[in-house]
This record gives sequence, C-alpha cells and structure tokens, in this order.
Amino acid sequence: MRELELYFGPQHLGMVGNFSITLQVEGDRIVKADANPGYLHRGFEKLMEQRTWMQNFPLVCRINVVEPDHIELIYSMGVEKLAGIEVPPRGKFIRSIYCEMARVGSHLFGLWAYSNMLGFDTVAQWAMYHRDLLLDRFEELTGARVYHIYLRPGGVRRDFPDGFEERLVNTLHSIGGKVPDYNATFFENSVFEKRAKGVGVLTREEGMKLGAVGHSMRANGMKYDIRKIEPYAAYDQVDWEVHTSEGGDAYARLFAIRDEMIESVHMIFKLLDKMPAKGEVFTKTPNPFKWRVPEGDAYVRCESSRGELGLYMVSDGGIKPYRVHFRTPSYTHGLAALEKVLVGESVADVGNIMISMYVVAPEIDR
Amino acid sequence: MIMEELKSKLEKAFGSAKISSNYSNNLAIELDETQAISMLSYLKNLGYKHLALISCVDWIEDNQFELVYVLSAYMPSDDSYSEKEKLNIIVKTRISREEAKYISIIDIFENAEPYEREIHELFGIHFEGHPRLTPLFLVLKYDKPPFRKDFDTRQFVDDYFGNIPPVE
Amino acid sequence: MDRNQLVKWIKAPAKMGHKYSLHVVYFCTGCGIIEIPPSITARWDAERFGVIPVATPRQANLFLITGYVSTKTLKAIIRTYEQMPEPKYTVGFGSCPINGGMYWDSYNTIKKLDKYIPIDGWIAGCMPRPEAVFVAVTHLWTLIDKEMADGYKRYREKYDYYRANQEKVFGEMEWPPLYGKE
Repeated sequence: MRELELYFGPQHLGMVGNFSITLQVEGDRIVKADANPGYLHRGFEKLMEQRTWMQNFPLVCRINVVEPDHIELIYSMGVEKLAGIEVPPRGKFIRSIYCEMARVGSHLFGLWAYSNMLGFDTVAQWAMYHRDLLLDRFEELTGARVYHIYLRPGGVRRDFPDGFEERLVNTLHSIGGKVPDYNATFFENSVFEKRAKGVGVLTREEGMKLGAVGHSMRANGMKYDIRKIEPYAAYDQVDWEVHTSEGGDAYARLFAIRDEMIESVHMIFKLLDKMPAKGEVFTKTPNPFKWRVPEGDAYVRCESSRGELGLYMVSDGGIKPYRVHFRTPSYTHGLAALEKVLVGESVADVGNIMISMYVVAPEIDR
Repeated sequence: MIMEELKSKLEKAFGSAKISSNYSNNLAIELDETQAISMLSYLKNLGYKHLALISCVDWIEDNQFELVYVLSAYMPSDDSYSEKEKLNIIVKTRISREEAKYISIIDIFENAEPYEREIHELFGIHFEGHPRLTPLFLVLKYDKPPFRKDFDTRQFVDDYFGNIPPVE
Repeated sequence: MDRNQLVKWIKAPAKMGHKYSLHVVYFCTGCGIIEIPPSITARWDAERFGVIPVATPRQANLFLITGYVSTKTLKAIIRTYEQMPEPKYTVGFGSCPINGGMYWDSYNTIKKLDKYIPIDGWIAGCMPRPEAVFVAVTHLWTLIDKEMADGYKRYREKYDYYRANQEKVFGEMEWPPLYGKE
C-alpha cells in the first residue's frame, strides 16, 4: 500500500492550541509522526534576562495560558530559595488554596476540550460553565479573570476580602454537586468506553524511559506526586491521598483526572478549616529596582495539573536574572512521548490521545 | 543521610569532582568535560533514572559554555516514599565557547533528544551522535544563535522589523 | 421588527445575511484562545449574535486573530486568509497585534499585523472579556452597513504592497501571488 503525508496542522478542528504534527499514514493507520512545534515561540528566557526580578511576573504568567498560577508559584519559590526568604504560615495556606482552585479550573478546561472532541457537547457546556463560576472567585480575589499576578517572593500580595470564604464554599458546593451528573452522562457511558479503552497506551517502562510525569504515570498505578515527595506550601499539614488507576490508556488517564479534581475540592475545605485566622501574608522584600539576589544556582519543582514543573535559575548577584530555564511537563509529553504513542493508531484518534495526555502548546515553545 | 552517603560514594569514585549542597534537596556536582558522561551512567546505575532537564548557560566573560544535567529518581514501588526521591542532582560541566561541541547522551537517556535539538538551535552547540539536528522552533535566519549573550534583541527588532513600511 | 429594518432587508438582503451570520474560522492563534470557549458556550452565548465556529476557512467569513503572531504563525495566517471566500472580515483580538504588546523586544514576533494582512477592527485588552467580543461584533455590523469594512477590497487593490512586505520578512515565499498580473 502507498503512504500519504498528512498535515494535522494548526488550523484543525481537533487541535486545541497552536501545534502541528506531520503524519505518514497508510490507509487509516499511522506509520510515523513528527511533531512540529514553534508556532508560539517568543524567546521568553531571553526576554527575562532584560527585566528586573519583580518586573518578570507579567511575563512569567503567560507561559501556560490555561493555568498560569503554578508558574508564578515556581518562579517565586526559585527566588525565595536563592535569597533565603521564608513565607509566613497564613501565606502558605493561602498559596495552597489558590493553587488548588487553579487545578480544578484547569481540569474543567481539559474536560471541555476532551468531551468536545468526542462529541459530548452537553458535558462540554457544563464544564465550561462551572469553570466560569470559579473565574468569578478569581476575579474577586485578584482583579482579573485569566492572568492574575497574585504571588510574589515571600508570600501573596494581599489577604482575602470580607466574606470570600463563604462565597468560595458555595461555588465549590455547586461544582461538587454536579459530579453525579458528570458520572452518569460521561464517565459511565459505554460510548466513551469504546472510544477510549486501549487507545494511546503508555506503559510504565516506556514512560520511565521517555520522561513522562504527572497523571500519565498515575494512570499506570504509580503514586508519583511531587506534593507528597517534596512537600511545599501547606500540603504536609492536611491529610489527603493520591488516586491512581490501571491500564495506561486514555480511559485510565481521564479517571485519574476526575479523581484528582474531586480530591482537590475536598482539600480546599480541609485547608479552609485549618488555616490560622489572622496573620501576615507576606514577608517584606527590598526595593524592587535595587534588589540584588545573592549569587548561586538552584533547581526547584512543584506539581502542576499536568505533571512535574521545574525551574533552573542562575543568579550572578545583579538586579536581573542571568539564566532562567523552565522545565515544563508538556515538553516531554508532546515531543518525545507523542511520537512513540501515535504509531499504529488511527487518524481519528490523534486529538483524543493528545488531549488525554494534556499537551498544551505554549508550554512546549515558551 | 542519603545526601551524605551519596556524597562520600561519589568522592571515592570520582576524585576530581567538586560536590556541594548549598540549597535544600539540591546536590551540585562540577566536573571536567571528559568525565561527565561516565558520571551520568554511574548515577543511572545507582537508580536516578529520570532526566528532568538539559540546560546551557553562556558565561561570556570566561569564554565558556556550561552544560547542566538535572537528574532525579522515580519511586521504587507503587506507594512507598523514601528519602531518595527528594533529591535533585545537578551535574555541571564546562566546554569551550569557540569549538562548541559535545557528545550526545541519547544512548543513556532516551528522552534527551528534544533538549539537545533545542540547545543546538538556540546556542549553536553541536552534539555528536544525535540523529536529527534540524530546526525546531525558528523560521528566520539570524547571523548568530539568538540565546547567546552577544545577540542584542532590541537592535535586531529595530533593524529587521523597523524597515518595513506601512501599507497606505 | 420595526420599519427601518424591513426597508434594509428589502433593499440589500445579501448584506443583511452577511451581517447576522458571521462564521468564525476555528484557529487558535495565540494566548487569546482562553477567552473564546467561554464566549461560545452557555454562559456568554455567542450564537444569539450569529457567531459560530466552523471547521474550514472555505466556509467562514470572519477571522479572529487572538493574541500575538509569531513568524511561523504568520505563514499559516496568510494561507488561511487567502483561502477564505469574499466578503471576509478580520478582527485583531488583544493588544499584541496592534503594536507588539508585551513582546515588543522579541526576535520572533510580528510587531504590527496591519502591514501584512488588512484588519477591519481591533479589540484592546490583555485579555479582553467575552463582552468585548460582542461589542466588537455589533460595531462590525455598523461598519458593514456603512460599507466601511472593506479590508478584502484593500487587499485586492494594494496587493503588491502587502506581498512586498511579506517577502521582506520571509524571503522567497513558497506559493505564487494570489492576484497575479496576467
């Protein structure tokens, strides 16, 4: 049979984000796949070397457009490690609540993208509506719907407004109360099972060789979560557990996402109970235009909703960073793992596999 | 505990390495360029199988590039957390800035391929043994690789995009 | 409907048809794609304005360029724009297509999009809210009524200048000119 070269290009109904894959197909089966990133490359790390440490926060947000909060967290943690700053206790709890809210919002966005791809429009509309209710809480807390610049080295910028906690609890109850409907319509549907079971299998050994992290490894039964391995913020003061599933295919990954989302909602309630009622929320840092961070280099990591997010930061004692390099989880999933997993699958399942592995294009190109 | 044992084991095996741990959970190892590859296979045999990052820093005043490899460990079984996974090991080595070439580590770690391709494109370092060193992100041609310290982005924007007239 | 609208429908039914059913090409160009799904789903419904995403550029007449444009994306944008049938309208979404925005000193982004393809309107903000998309759509209706939304006519008349600017960025282009001199 003959082979045909097909462009699963940037303008495609099955592509969320600006990314392209060149496929060699034989009939309906894929023989070879070449990822083609670079549509969103802005040269972030070079731009960050020309702005001071605090001026970099608006740039840092825009690396991952779906969930900008974990990247603000990792940049603040990097500066704190180099400069030796401690976060006060109430600030740590607020950081954890903020990151868990971002995780729930990001998983709802992923559910919109995935169910829209498979054709379940009802579940897609519900998921986007609930994410919008959560964005109202973000707007009340930080002032913007999408790019909130709320974290800083040493804590958070301001405390909760009056009555915020009750409104947050009400929003989470309305999201959590819809979960039985999500289960009945989508997760226990036999059409979803036939479309997703056995598709895009990434076994544990292959994953360890290709550098897969996050829920792609949790779908194989391994409880690999940075919040338990190297706890940061207030994650070691609340008890929660890591959920896994078996199989390594797209079906198992979606169940790992759903269980993580439900666990995050419960974790926010526990954090709100245990939070100290009064206190400082940030430690003072020097004048931002004259602040010189001491010399050195460090590596920090945290668990974003896609996997392990890391940052290698080098400072030479000046007012601007010397070298900043982000290790984003979509880099290995989208470039190294996707090219192996797609061989042998059918063309109709490319979007299915890509969204179940949560590849977000701006994270690859930076 | 684990960090002290690892430090003494490495100092016995590689005498000329400089090992330091100034920040929590970070172990930094500085080596000569001829020994870095054997250090990486040694660490992989000890169980540090996850290559998290390959990065490059341009020290223009010393006339050298510094290649940085960050390793960590996966869990030994499904739900036991030990001290070993907390550690991030940073292996650093310096190469000369004029020659700008090194050996690829694709035989040891399979997911090094996109990292080395990106460093070749943005810094201009050639990796021997890499199967495809084709462009990854960039479309235009620059006179020197754009992430080096002597490439001025503001001057480039004025020269290249400032000369294009508006349509009226 | 009032008497004013009835007169417009009888005089120019094709123009009223174009106005009230602007189909958007589904192309996620940049950052701004994060505020488009809220606009087209249940909370801020865009279908009551006639705006709905379609799969291919051959079926569309509105092109929403959401966010910054890098050099690789500009090639895809020009190809998509040239495939759309006339009459077609483009709207720049966000402050990056206007004058470079936050990435004004980046070596890989285009600073002013107006030099390469014609733009009918801009929406400022970073990110603009979904309500801003609806204000832009209603403003575009007024411009279509007054015959001022003529980006496609400008592209046809001044094609040499646009093509010269595109060739200054990319060098040799891989496809021949659209409106050639025969």
